[in-house]
Amino acid sequence: MIDKIFSNLTRFSALLILVIVAWIFVELYNQSLEAINAFGFDFITKDEWAPNVDKFGAYAAIFGSVASTFLAMLFAIPIAIGVAIFLSEIAHDKIKGFFGVSVELLAAIPSVIYGMWGLFYFVPIIRDLFGGMGIGLLSAGIVLSIMILPFMAAVTRDAMNTTPDILKESAYALGGTQWDVIKDVIIPYARAGIIGSIILALGRAIGETMAVTFVMGNVHHTPSAITDPTTSIPVTLANEFAEADSSLYFSSLFELALLLLAMSFVVIAIAKFYFLRKERRGV
Amino acid sequence: MASIIDIKDECALHVRDFEFTYKGAPAPSLKKVTMPIAKHSITALIGPSGCGKTTLLRSFNRMHDLYPGNTYNGEIEFEGRNILGAKEDLIHLRTKIGMIFQKPTAFPMSIFDNVAYGMRLQGIKNKTELRDRVEKALQDAAIWKEVSDRLKNDANGLSGGQQQRLCIARAIAVEPEVLLFDEPTSALDPISTQGIEKLVIELKEKVSIIIVTHNMQQAARVSDYTGFMYLGELIELGHTEELFVTPKEKLTQEYITGKFG
Amino acid sequence: MTAVQKRVLINKIVLGLSTLSAIIAIAFLFWILGVLVMKGVGALNWDIFIFEGSPPGYAESGLKHALVGQLILVSLATFIGVPFGILAGTYLSEYGKNSKLAHAIRDISDIMMSAPSIVIGAFVYAIVVMPMGHFSAWAGAIALAIIMIPIILRTTDDMLQLVPGTLREAAFALGAPKYKVIMDVVYRGAKAGILTGVLLGIARVGGETAPLLFTSFNDNFFTTDLNEAMPSLTVTMFNYAISPYEDWQQLGWAAAFILSMFILGLNIVGRLILFAGKRK
Repeated sequence: MIDKIFSNLTRFSALLILVIVAWIFVELYNQSLEAINAFGFDFITKDEWAPNVDKFGAYAAIFGSVASTFLAMLFAIPIAIGVAIFLSEIAHDKIKGFFGVSVELLAAIPSVIYGMWGLFYFVPIIRDLFGGMGIGLLSAGIVLSIMILPFMAAVTRDAMNTTPDILKESAYALGGTQWDVIKDVIIPYARAGIIGSIILALGRAIGETMAVTFVMGNVHHTPSAITDPTTSIPVTLANEFAEADSSLYFSSLFELALLLLAMSFVVIAIAKFYFLRKERRGV
Repeated sequence: MASIIDIKDECALHVRDFEFTYKGAPAPSLKKVTMPIAKHSITALIGPSGCGKTTLLRSFNRMHDLYPGNTYNGEIEFEGRNILGAKEDLIHLRTKIGMIFQKPTAFPMSIFDNVAYGMRLQGIKNKTELRDRVEKALQDAAIWKEVSDRLKNDANGLSGGQQQRLCIARAIAVEPEVLLFDEPTSALDPISTQGIEKLVIELKEKVSIIIVTHNMQQAARVSDYTGFMYLGELIELGHTEELFVTPKEKLTQEYITGKFG
Repeated sequence: MTAVQKRVLINKIVLGLSTLSAIIAIAFLFWILGVLVMKGVGALNWDIFIFEGSPPGYAESGLKHALVGQLILVSLATFIGVPFGILAGTYLSEYGKNSKLAHAIRDISDIMMSAPSIVIGAFVYAIVVMPMGHFSAWAGAIALAIIMIPIILRTTDDMLQLVPGTLREAAFALGAPKYKVIMDVVYRGAKAGILTGVLLGIARVGGETAPLLFTSFNDNFFTTDLNEAMPSLTVTMFNYAISPYEDWQQLGWAAAFILSMFILGLNIVGRLILFAGKRK
């Protein structure tokens, strides 16, 4: 009797997670219907976002999300791979330990703090270098890249470390240099894991809100220069959700949330199931 | 005391008073080892696990240098110089002294690229030369017939025995003077093992061979000289047939008769 | 230059570049941590714990409201999320095992762990804030709990699977019903691991801002009413930091420092527990 109750309780709790995820999609879709019906595809192709006349085109926000994530990847990928190579092939044990602690430290820092740091310390530098306000796409991309760097470097290093020592030694035994071993053995061997790690970091970057909200602006305008202030989906949601005043406005914000969820869901699923399958199952 | 025979022929390598200590280890893993390695012959290293035979083998191509913190002194003479010197060009050394590992280590690339890898590292780009030498190496490693029609295929699709022969082809393609075998058949089935052993014997025409094995029969079957190691010391080095039939040292006799190990 | 010399040169260049990347990364790390510590410690004083929020320019202003609000929100989320997370993890490890359903749940949880947290906020806005008609602590706590559940579910699942099957069999052999075996043997065996999972889950949601922005919203005054908007350290930090007032910005840094220490502490304690459990 108690046995039955207990097992049903656990099953219910487990199913709850599926229910919640399905419910999130359904609820966001239902809330978006008004905007979907009103604007159709114009929602994602037009960039006129005018709450005062109830016109909503999210092109600028979508573009901002994609562009800031792209910039972040552009800065973060080479550095993360460099750091991963440094950690797995160059650094001594003490430095590895030190960096391990540093990664934990950085992961413990709430993303809102990256945003604050970006606003007060990084944006002024961009402003001095490039003129303008400093707030904009470039700042957002760089702050975002710093935010995902530790995670990306750590998972890339883990992927590289799956290469068996004996395989690396074989390449050294043929007279290879460290770089020969890295490019010809480690990277090809760990390719799936490395790509998966990078895509996973990308999935996180798309949805990151607080690190970029401070430094992006919130201007619904597709930027003409990389230093122009613009917006992204999370930035729009963070700034406008609590202030929306018409049902169409709300509905448009919900549609943005739905788009964001769908984008990150697809990216993360590709990383997890296409590239990281083996590691994840641990077999 | 150790009983080391004097090798009359020319030596490929000569180890003198070699001591080796792993990083952080309280005692050396190799203690004052002195050992000549005859040219164009096969020298087997036997002994119980932990006796230092693999440690010694990996010293010949300075594999230990990949992991910082290990210390060593003494001398290993090769081509008239001490290869333990700080100025030794490890890249050059490793092209002269090749190595085959316990498990097949096919790189994640095609069969052809695997064999061509060492040559490409040396800067050989000429396609005809590469193709000729890859074919020659595969023939010498007795695997050409099996793979000649699928050189572009991924090397990891081959069987374990084939992969090990591929690794041998890869090692001999750069024409080394010495080949080090670290228990090359421990991951293979008996038939593949037989193939590898036959190949090792054929290869001594071209290179000097040192083979570490945990299998005494294997040492007896393939080698010309056998060294028995115990607790970091070389106890006895002799002609293989003599060492197995009339060992000079008591420890050697106890080991080959299976009293310990 | 021979081919080998060229390779050696390229190797030096690449290793140099990779060391440079590590130096760049570490430099940013120290920059950010340095700013956090300098600005945070500089802004710390007892007033912060005594006074609640006040308009800019007032001497008597503090973070008591946000500290208490943060504790309430995270505790509430823990009370909702932990039982569901542990029970669901128990299902995966003890009942579902390798079934398709169990794998589907694991996969979905993995994705949810990296899904944008602001979307969870939007969802809770739709299902809690809109029907209630106003922001509330409940809404914020539910949003955090939804983020927490997958984390606890996965660690519980992993930790329970580490308990050796022979232990379970021994208990079954004594005639214990399954729930008894799980409660008395499996949970006990995985105690340290589950606790670590819970602490890491709390640490993770403790730093969340985005899902609270339009669920628990914010308030500049002290409140314990769960049906009303509730301040949190993170949202307060956000609002104060983007304000033009210097004293508010100072408080923002103090909040950032306190929160980081809290989350770091949870992480360290969680790992220590796991480490001690493993050594045993």
